Amino acid sequence: MDSSSGDINLTDLSQNDKKELQQFVSNEAQKAKIQSTVHYLTDMCWKRCITSKISSGQMDSYERPCMENCVDRYIDSQMTVLKHLEQLRGQL
Amino acid sequence: MDSFTNSLGVNQQSKKQAWMDKIRQEAAVEQARALIDKVSDNCFEKCVPKPGSTLTSGETTCINQCMEKYMSAWNVVSRKYIERIQSKEI
Repeated sequence: MDSSSGDINLTDLSQNDKKELQQFVSNEAQKAKIQSTVHYLTDMCWKRCITSKISSGQMDSYERPCMENCVDRYIDSQMTVLKHLEQLRGQL
Repeated sequence: MDSFTNSLGVNQQSKKQAWMDKIRQEAAVEQARALIDKVSDNCFEKCVPKPGSTLTSGETTCINQCMEKYMSAWNVVSRKYIERIQSKEI
């Protein structure tokens, strides 16, 4: 990430510590990936669901379910694309 | 940072811990930065459609409410997305 990370010397860590760190880094990477998808989805669904003027800091009874449906339907769409792709591939 | 560069005689446990803290912290900073970007974009779009010579009090109120709303929307999406990817049949 930032250049100061280069100062940290890992070579004298034990094998076990290295393994543990690797596991930790891969977990963090996974978390970061999920969060970045959440950012993407929030942005996209916000544009679709929060269409009226902002009049409070809360989501109203239309907006909240719309955001939830938006996430679900996006994943459904993604799955549909993958399934259809698989099907087309089978036809070749 | 000095404790990092002094590789001999450094307690291994604390060194590993320092690494993890650093990674966690960088992830949190990155996460906050991304959220601030999105909030600024979306709330500017929503609250300041026609920028005037100053930010009006109405626009300021709108931005503050928008920010709270965006963060609550983020939490709703996060919960829903994680629930979905954890369920067996995605």
